Amino acid sequence: MRFSLGMAFRNIRRRPARAVFMCMIVVFLSFALLTGGYLLISLQNGLEGYRARLGADIVVVPSSAQGHGTVDEILLQGITGNYYIPSAGLNKLESIEGIEEKTEQFYLTSAKASCCSARVQMIGFDPKTDFTVMPWISGSVDGNIGDGDILIGADIAYPADGYLRFYGDSYRVAGQLDRTGTGLDNAVFTNRSTIRKMADSAKVTLEREALKGIDPENDASCVLIRVKDGYDISAVADDINIHVAGVRATASGDLIASVSGGFRGASAAIGVVVSGILVIAVMIMAMVFVLMMNERKKEFAVLRVAGASRRILVLTMAAETAIVSIVGAVLGVLVSLLLTSPISEGISSQLSLPCMLSDTVTVILLSVCALAAPLAVSEAAALISALRIVGNETGMLLKEDA
Amino acid sequence: MKLKTENAGRMYFRGSGNKNYFYAVKAADFSLEEGCITVITGSSGSGKTTFINMLSGLLAPSEGRVLVDERDMYSLTDKERSLLRNRSFGIIPQGQTGLQCLTVSENVLLPAVMYGRADEKKHQAKELLEKTGIAELWNIYSNELSGGELRRMSVARALINDPAVIIADEPTGDLDGEATSLVMELLSERAKNGASVLIVTHDSEVLPYADRVFSMEKGVLKKI
Repeated sequence: MRFSLGMAFRNIRRRPARAVFMCMIVVFLSFALLTGGYLLISLQNGLEGYRARLGADIVVVPSSAQGHGTVDEILLQGITGNYYIPSAGLNKLESIEGIEEKTEQFYLTSAKASCCSARVQMIGFDPKTDFTVMPWISGSVDGNIGDGDILIGADIAYPADGYLRFYGDSYRVAGQLDRTGTGLDNAVFTNRSTIRKMADSAKVTLEREALKGIDPENDASCVLIRVKDGYDISAVADDINIHVAGVRATASGDLIASVSGGFRGASAAIGVVVSGILVIAVMIMAMVFVLMMNERKKEFAVLRVAGASRRILVLTMAAETAIVSIVGAVLGVLVSLLLTSPISEGISSQLSLPCMLSDTVTVILLSVCALAAPLAVSEAAALISALRIVGNETGMLLKEDA
Repeated sequence: MKLKTENAGRMYFRGSGNKNYFYAVKAADFSLEEGCITVITGSSGSGKTTFINMLSGLLAPSEGRVLVDERDMYSLTDKERSLLRNRSFGIIPQGQTGLQCLTVSENVLLPAVMYGRADEKKHQAKELLEKTGIAELWNIYSNELSGGELRRMSVARALINDPAVIIADEPTGDLDGEATSLVMELLSERAKNGASVLIVTHDSEVLPYADRVFSMEKGVLKKI
């Protein structure tokens, strides 16, 4: 083995172009594997998180919300909006049959505030009736959200004193939420009484047109509904659309189906790209090895003449390939780790799909796969080529060369 | 070490199918004598190289046997045959056989390094390079050498493990008169020390060193 390793290092040192070319193929392969795998798992995580958080069977927003600031836009893209269902509409929901429980949310868009370089969506919810936000945020904060407290998304920075200013008032940051990979990472959560205070201040401070005529005490931007067992969700949504004027009820399954469809499309595209890269890389690798082995027949023959057994030759080839492949795979993984997070978020944003970055253990496992798979592929290609050559009689190799 | 062939022949197929074949070497009975230089001459394509490749354990005969101390060489495992070649055979193949990733000294020491005997052989490698007249090229990579220098390096590599059998295919092919003398003196010295030396050549300058001369024509080996 010592001899094989020594020969492998000497060959690499004396033929750097060949080694670098092989190395680059492996870099490409491991990068594609890790980045593709990471992206797929992040999208899957995002979808699962999205499904879990939505929680409601039906989402009701005002008809005026159509085209901008819809719930899926808020959840997935961070597109914010101010739209409100008047209290009269909310009251009519009481008469709809099949509603197990409902909770209201009040949305408010901040101006450029001290916390953020861009506008953020502020979401006021009622902790007493809520069944969508609390289960999610309970992992990040304990206890209730008091008046004047806010919870902020993972992408919002806040000063060391723990207070953020909105519309001239300061609010205590009670906690920061886990990353979701959605627009919620750029949202602020608070209870209804606090958001009412914010809305009142916004009216005064900004004289915002959108807030004129809005009653923060009784109006809501969105109602999330859970349907009683035995009731058809679509039928209940249709019932709302027919009987409650000025609102649009959407079965949340439709939202998830839409996101799932997008996810399937994106996954398939990523899968095709990664598979294509794998196939091309394996083909190039196989071709390179076949060409390289033909070029090295004489070298193998000389080693056989000097007394090398077939095992020594195969070990030498395996060692050389392993050194080049390990260097390439490590480089590929490092580059991928540096670029994967921004790439994932960029693709997620472009495709409007939720993306939740994978945990450390998953990343480590993916990295191990991205290290091992190219190594296995290149070793297989090298060994098949080497075995084909050492299977020939050395006398024949010498005859070909003569 | 006694090396001999019994009815050893080698057949090759041309093209596809089993009908078009020819014998490169026909039923050769031959024995290599210790302490002697044996030379085989013959025209190109007469089967000389095929014959010595069979004797070297590099090409199995399609019929007959190659015996090493009365044991069929091709009944040995690859590992056993490789070790035998490394320890007991010094082979100088036809053509240029320098490994480009190695320096001259590393090329010469290659058979010794392969089985962990590099340190004990360094001094001998220097001596061999001095005797072949290329001592100053110790640290030069083999791709920087001329044809004659590569040939002398190949001779030194074949002798590094003090082989009992030396088999050389055109060892003086790229050499001028002076270098030919150096190489032939070296091979003669080994023969005097008991080695069996077999040389295949077209070079008439080699013949004066020969103890026995054979010729090979169309695969048939004859003593002259």
